[in-house]
Amino acid sequence: MNIEEFIENFASQLDETAPEEITAETRFKELDEWSSLTALSIIAMVDDEYDVIIKGNDILKSDTIQDLFAVVEKKRR
Amino acid sequence: MSQLTINHVRLAGMSACVPSTVEDNRTLPIYKDENDALKVIASTGIERHHKVDDQTTASDLTVKAVEALLEKMGWTAQEVDCFAYVCTSRDYIAPQTACILQDRLQLRSDCCVFDLPFGCSGWVYGMSIVASLMSHGTFKRAILVAAETNTRNRNPRDPSVRPLFGDAATATALEYAPDSARPMNFMFGVDGSGFDAVWAPYGGIRNPVTTEALEEKEVSPGTYRRGVDMIVNGMDVFGFAIKQPPRSLKELIETFNIDVESVDLLLLHQANKFIDEKIRKAVKIPAEKTPYCLEEYGNVTSASIPLTMVTRCGEQLSAAGERHCLACGFGVGLAWASMEFYAGGMTMVDVLDY
Repeated sequence: MNIEEFIENFASQLDETAPEEITAETRFKELDEWSSLTALSIIAMVDDEYDVIIKGNDILKSDTIQDLFAVVEKKRR
Repeated sequence: MSQLTINHVRLAGMSACVPSTVEDNRTLPIYKDENDALKVIASTGIERHHKVDDQTTASDLTVKAVEALLEKMGWTAQEVDCFAYVCTSRDYIAPQTACILQDRLQLRSDCCVFDLPFGCSGWVYGMSIVASLMSHGTFKRAILVAAETNTRNRNPRDPSVRPLFGDAATATALEYAPDSARPMNFMFGVDGSGFDAVWAPYGGIRNPVTTEALEEKEVSPGTYRRGVDMIVNGMDVFGFAIKQPPRSLKELIETFNIDVESVDLLLLHQANKFIDEKIRKAVKIPAEKTPYCLEEYGNVTSASIPLTMVTRCGEQLSAAGERHCLACGFGVGLAWASMEFYAGGMTMVDVLDY
């Protein structure tokens, strides 16, 4: 898995934020549209694309998309 | 793998009773505007739920459901050999609620009665236990109740639960059927490491009720809870629910060589539409074979599957012949179970108001 593709998959779950605004350094929980429902669609996307189940705590502890990418990468090993 | 096959037991009838008060998610005071509410409705599929008042228990709803079922079946309470009560919102810490119901329902004093404190997986687990006992052949008639008053052990000022959960009681009649050629097949699963994904931390023996446990606190902005209130960690439950139930159903299908094309009904615990649709698609069963009642009743935990059968499948289940059914219950525990069975010619009572 690579970070570019992960960012693209992440951005595709958002309705109100333009994909080009999303980078590895984006602090996703600070996005205007971020809600518990967005979190659920990210969990579903990670399951679909990477066959990994991330937990609520993984999201709570991650600030940037890079952080979350690292969690998914670790769980895939 | 823990798998189980039970022979010579058939589903004979079903009923359900819901409180008459309806809470509509569009007008709940927990949202800042209707748009906020509509977003939650769009993703969960849950529009409203039925709610008991603070005097009514799951056992009160149960009495009405069971009495109506016995009457329509033409069974007397005295003919019931086994009575199981699946419920976590029990009347008292002790005794078991099933004992009290023996008296209220006028069941025999030698009737085999017991509580089964399961959550969302409870109807499937309950079926496996009661049908197992019946398969020995000496119990001829049994009633399995799956009932819950979720609104009474969750905080009304907790937006993560209030729009999702409702109250209901259901009764399923089972009959010993020595000539029945169709088995019931089961698969089970549990992950106790997820015990705190859905839980009530205070009120048991580990953390007894203290004055502090009864104080309402703002645990995060806009979310209030007491220590004795049920906590649902939505993200962890979601992660579990999109993984284990599809896996469990696939194990069932593989283990018992089930031809998915021949399935007439996929009966899922009514968690939320998003989760249930992911499960349905994972096992490749068409939408028209997967009934929902969550839009009207919300998540009623163990009562979800039987309430769906009563309110959405009455005609199919009462018609002659047989419907090939798969069911999957999943949730608090974390525990889950899947089941294959055939049903038809059942006595179905229309949903009752309390």
